[in-house]
Amino acid sequence: MDFVILSLVMLAIGIYGLLTNRQLLKVFISIELIATAATLNFVMLASSMGQGLGQAFLILAFSTDTAVSGVVLALLVIVTKKYGTSNINEILKMQEKRDSEAEQ
Amino acid sequence: MILEILSIGLIVSACLALFLDEVVYSVAALAGTFLFTALLYYVNGAIYAGIFQFVVGVGTLAILFLSGEMLSDKSTKKTSPKKLSALIGAGVVLSLPAIFLSVSGSTGVYSDASFGDALWSLSGVDVILQALVILTVALGIAIILYEQKKGGK
Repeated sequence: MDFVILSLVMLAIGIYGLLTNRQLLKVFISIELIATAATLNFVMLASSMGQGLGQAFLILAFSTDTAVSGVVLALLVIVTKKYGTSNINEILKMQEKRDSEAEQ
Repeated sequence: MILEILSIGLIVSACLALFLDEVVYSVAALAGTFLFTALLYYVNGAIYAGIFQFVVGVGTLAILFLSGEMLSDKSTKKTSPKKLSALIGAGVVLSLPAIFLSVSGSTGVYSDASFGDALWSLSGVDVILQALVILTVALGIAIILYEQKKGGK
């Protein structure tokens, strides 16, 4: 059982989801998975060496991660309410349409 | 044996969280991911990390369930059982390298600092990070208020 490979697989799944999903909430879930993979690797390596340092860093990482998650979710709600959809492609099309209308 | 089961559950729930069509079910699968991660920490002796992962996961999921309900399109198609079983199979296959392969090597760094000592010695970083958190929250509130003001005009 190797936690480095486990966290690498988690990271790969997160990056794949980030590149392929077009829904904003799924993109956010991908980012959460990438953050989980990073912390998993860190804590497992630290705990296998008998250190408390990894756990202490995890708590610090969680505090920033949660704040960033809150702001990202607030932005998601604003964008979805503004454009009426949570699909990135549709949002980009609407933005291009608005830009072209503004130029004319 | 329990570590292998937990790692398979972790990868399967991560796959389900990303590729299920219904947003609410995706968030439920993400709850599974957080739970399996917390259990992995706990089983490996990182008890504090497991508890914090669980607590933070619960908070994140509560917000995600609410925003998932708000943001999801009601007309999304349902995931077919065939796709569901394919996702579970892919998750199990992806978790096999972590079970059967291993990366050898050592960092050569060892410290017997306890959790309390490590947390105390990092208190300076903690203050900076808390300032970053407050700044981020203030930025988020400012953006929301700006958007509201802009929308009101």
